[in-house]
Amino acid sequence: MNKADRSRHYQDRVRKAISKPRLQDTLHRFADAYVVAREAAFAGQDFEALRTAIGEMKDEVRDNLPRYRDEFIANAEAAGAKVTIARTAADANAYICNLAKERGVKTVVKSKSMASEETHLNHALKDAGVEALETDLGEWIIQLAGEKPSHMVMPAIHMVKEEVAELFSKVTGKEEPAEILHLVRLAREQLRQAYLDADMGISGANVAIAETGGIALVTNEGNARLTTTLPKIHVALVGMEKLVPTLEDANRIINVLPKNATGQLITSYITWIRGAVPCGDGDKELHIVLLDNGRSALAESPHCRDALRCIKCGACANVCPVYQTVGGHVFGHIYISAIGVILTAFFHGLENASELVRACIGCRSCVAVCPSNIDLESIILHLREVIGEEEGVGAGKSIVFKNVMRNRKLFHGMLRAASVLQKPVTRGERTIRHLPLFFSGLTEWRTLPAIADKPLRDLWKNIPQKVEKPRYRVAFFAGCLNDFVYPEMGIDLVKVLNHLDVEVTLPLEQSCCGVPALYSGDKDTAVAMAEQNIDAMLKDDPDFVVTSCPTCTMALQRDFIDLLKDNPVWAEKAKSLAEITIDISCFIADKLDGAESFGKAIKAEKVTYHDSCHLKRGAGVWEQPRRLIADSGREVVEMAHSDRCCGFGGSYSFTSHADIAKHILGDKIKDIEASGATCVAMDCPGCMMQIHGGLEKQEKTVRVRHTIELLAENLDD
Amino acid sequence: MEKFIIAARNVGADVHVLSKPEDIVAYIDERIDGGLMLSPCPSLKHAGLSAMLKTAGVDVVEEDFRAHGAGAAAGLTGANFGIAATGTVVLESTEEAVRIATTLPEKHFVLLDPRKILATADEAVPLLNDFHKQMPQAYLAYITGPSRTADIERVLTIGVHGPAELHILLLEGVSDDVMER
Repeated sequence: MNKADRSRHYQDRVRKAISKPRLQDTLHRFADAYVVAREAAFAGQDFEALRTAIGEMKDEVRDNLPRYRDEFIANAEAAGAKVTIARTAADANAYICNLAKERGVKTVVKSKSMASEETHLNHALKDAGVEALETDLGEWIIQLAGEKPSHMVMPAIHMVKEEVAELFSKVTGKEEPAEILHLVRLAREQLRQAYLDADMGISGANVAIAETGGIALVTNEGNARLTTTLPKIHVALVGMEKLVPTLEDANRIINVLPKNATGQLITSYITWIRGAVPCGDGDKELHIVLLDNGRSALAESPHCRDALRCIKCGACANVCPVYQTVGGHVFGHIYISAIGVILTAFFHGLENASELVRACIGCRSCVAVCPSNIDLESIILHLREVIGEEEGVGAGKSIVFKNVMRNRKLFHGMLRAASVLQKPVTRGERTIRHLPLFFSGLTEWRTLPAIADKPLRDLWKNIPQKVEKPRYRVAFFAGCLNDFVYPEMGIDLVKVLNHLDVEVTLPLEQSCCGVPALYSGDKDTAVAMAEQNIDAMLKDDPDFVVTSCPTCTMALQRDFIDLLKDNPVWAEKAKSLAEITIDISCFIADKLDGAESFGKAIKAEKVTYHDSCHLKRGAGVWEQPRRLIADSGREVVEMAHSDRCCGFGGSYSFTSHADIAKHILGDKIKDIEASGATCVAMDCPGCMMQIHGGLEKQEKTVRVRHTIELLAENLDD
Repeated sequence: MEKFIIAARNVGADVHVLSKPEDIVAYIDERIDGGLMLSPCPSLKHAGLSAMLKTAGVDVVEEDFRAHGAGAAAGLTGANFGIAATGTVVLESTEEAVRIATTLPEKHFVLLDPRKILATADEAVPLLNDFHKQMPQAYLAYITGPSRTADIERVLTIGVHGPAELHILLLEGVSDDVMER
């Protein structure tokens, strides 16, 4: 399929998924329950310490794989197992199918195995004339439906009970009621005899333990225990990344896995199996297939190899706003959601991953809950660069990034021109409610702010600064939105900082932080922008560089370092800039200790706070702005899901995935309204644009303000 | 023991503290309608349960579990030890009979001496190590509550493929050996 067809096909699937409100409802309800259950399950445990330890242990195995693999094989074979290494999916399938043929196997019962989904084992068995029956309830349902799993742990979460009843009715030949208990019991009855009749049982493994040569299975239903007990032959298909050195390491993973997957303290069953255990009159025949299928290549990729730490808990899907909107069949291939994007690229080829790589909105909610400490977002960004290099970033974007953005004067000149050209659609107002013709889709569900008549850089020299003895001199990195769309926020920032005896400069050589190019996969432009901005911001040797946009903050604090780390001229400068860069709320609350310096607002307004993704999960800042708002005499009321993405994501909501962005914004607006606040505050001009646009389009009266604007209001009073 | 009981009940197990072997027989007799697979565990033998159950009229199955297949109504096993934090019972299940008695029937009765309750899963790791050292082939099972699924619309439903009921009978004095097999 060519790129254009593939994209169109993908967009079609997005639209279809969005038109299923029950799917979204199920996923949202699960996500809410999950967050509560997960927190309770980890009560009293140090999640950061647990995940750091798991990450380190997994890295140790990856870096010394031949040693641990050989230790596992030796111990497993000493216990009577036969171990084989399958280089590819086809090799694994061929081994299992040949074994089935040699032993005259007619039917196979399977317990849940994502590795077998990865290799399409059921198809291979069918072609070999062997009937494979899935016994995990969710897997059986999707097998009957002829579908793929839509979640690693809950494969049939996309289906409703009526659909399941319809499938089961076809099995029994009579109409089965859509009652969940009835359907579950029916599955039990239908599959019972199959375990006893099957000639072979196939399972996966959650861990493979080098020091014992055994495997462990983490399950709830009991089907894996039957699958690994009753048939004479047991085949375990195990991804190579499941290897751990010791029982203690296995215990470490098993402690975390159910808690992070579904919020359970432990699953009903943890089963430790080593070797050819007794079966009927003799011993069982145990075959362990260790699957590579792209894992070695992944281990060799310095940018992506952390993905091998994954313990397949599925949490990255549970918390993902994109997943919650479109489900795993759209935001996934075989493996789904954030980890799925990465594993798909390596296990199933880049072409199957390229749409998924762009579908990530970059909110980092997955990074916050990953039990193996994988920076999923950074890896996805890297893959976006790779795809950008392989396929190009799109002709329109390419021209803008390469020819316009890298040239600050031209870029800013075009923004100024846009300010004039937009007049017919703004009608002199500050927001654009409707756009003509083919742009109309962009303002169908949110208004857009107009580009200001005069950008902040033009107003700057006329902004009075009254600081007699400055405590600090700081340089303001305004970012495009603050400079060209919300210049009044810059004026407020000066007022607020002057009040705290801080003098502010606006280095005029600064330009876009480069994130739009970076997130679209154009690394070269991002590097050029990083260099330009480092020079501009360090030029006058400021005490601090303050930012009002968390995405810019991440660029200055994190991305510039990464982009320039191999460049001896720039690496140190990038580090120097990162060290003095700080977002404005954190600067006021922590560095200036200024939370109580603004008196009390005249009106004790109810304010709810929206945590911007890159501020909370990027910079780790969430408490400071709340403190500033509360201490300034306002009542902070929490909305539900305050740290859930608003759906902006920069170009994500404009060009690539407007449909998804619109739904995520809809969720946010509901939460804001339900909080009862009359003002929603945040620390990101991008979120402001999105949330204000959505509220205004729906004609809601809730005010949208940057924290800095609220503080400035106190000074005006 | 209290922690263990609370945790086990939280995940849907029935937990009862009994004072003598006769109580086990009475407890099971009240709740069984069909054959009872009696697994070959030392603590059950030690408590003399086979004869007592038969005397009480329970249809006790002691061999060829496979042939009884899905027919038996319940299984009775011992437990090597328990884990208080999660309400888990741990069974060395390498003998096929133990596995069948704990997977195929609707009900699983498990006898645990409360002296063998550990605080956390971390404390079980050295025991797992010992089992692996003593046994070339091993099948060890952590069982926590009855069989469950939430695969349809995320609704928690009990009793899919494994036992729908897990009855944990706590009786002091049957065994203090965590490694028994």
